Amino acid sequence: MKFRRKGEQAKIESQMAPMIDVVFQLLIFFILTLKIIEPEGDFNVNLPISAPAQAETDRPLPDIKVRLIANDDGNLGQLVLGRRKLGTGDQAFELLNREILKMIGRPGNPLTKDIEVELDADYNLHYRYIVKGISACTGRLDPRTKKIVPYIEKIKFAPPHRPE
Amino acid sequence: MKINTKNVEVPEIDMTPMIDVVFQLIAFFMVITNFEQTQADERVKLPKDQLAKPAEVKREDKLTLNVGFKRDAEGNKQSEALVLLFGEDIPVLQMGPKLKQESKIYKQKGTDPKDVTIIIRADAEVPTGLVQELIKLAQEAEFEKFSLAATQISD
Repeated sequence: MKFRRKGEQAKIESQMAPMIDVVFQLLIFFILTLKIIEPEGDFNVNLPISAPAQAETDRPLPDIKVRLIANDDGNLGQLVLGRRKLGTGDQAFELLNREILKMIGRPGNPLTKDIEVELDADYNLHYRYIVKGISACTGRLDPRTKKIVPYIEKIKFAPPHRPE
Repeated sequence: MKINTKNVEVPEIDMTPMIDVVFQLIAFFMVITNFEQTQADERVKLPKDQLAKPAEVKREDKLTLNVGFKRDAEGNKQSEALVLLFGEDIPVLQMGPKLKQESKIYKQKGTDPKDVTIIIRADAEVPTGLVQELIKLAQEAEFEKFSLAATQISD
């Protein structure tokens, strides 16, 4: 019988080709399925239908009314706080934000916990302005800490003015 | 002159660095791939806002309604505002029966529709009135919690 000596041991060669095939398949799969999603957030609004509207006189502080008037093309024509015209564009929303702060005194004021903001927008106004309006009323972002300073949490909508 | 044709040495390619790089790439893509089934619709271009923040507590029951338009390659609107729901494109004002059906399904599963959050992902150019109409239809189907989605911006 012939014994194989140490020096004659067959060298086992690993087959790299199939592994590389699979690895490339995996790589292509992950590249193709990759979806870049922008980070999203949201604004909570609670709008129960059955809750009876509380009379204005029962509440210590009246609602803040914000009117958003649209142009024919759906862009913002005028932002109105109560009866005061605040203009258009980003400056108007910044002004609204400052006025809201003046009304509540200081952020987190417990006395203003029950204040609601009613947003009354024209039917054809682009949705982006409502989001800006909600944002201006709910608070601001502290530039130093990057944390949200809350103003008013309760936001509601006036009934829609459906065109005739 | 004698030319040696038999003993040509085949150059061996060292595959190790390539495999290292490829594994790194696979690991990268695996980590950043979002396997969670998102209900976001790419046709909807959300408004952007600084204060839009992700929900602090993960919502157990949520129904996402994408409201957008059909657009051509240049981004021009080709339709009225539609709710893009599970592959169906339904005009906003015709969503009543669908929402009532969803409400019924939640009830059959033992979930109160009042505990379900409706996440409205509306395109920035959708008329506000239609978003309000959608909220109204959802209220009629006994949904009470609403959330308006926006893309986060930081500056």
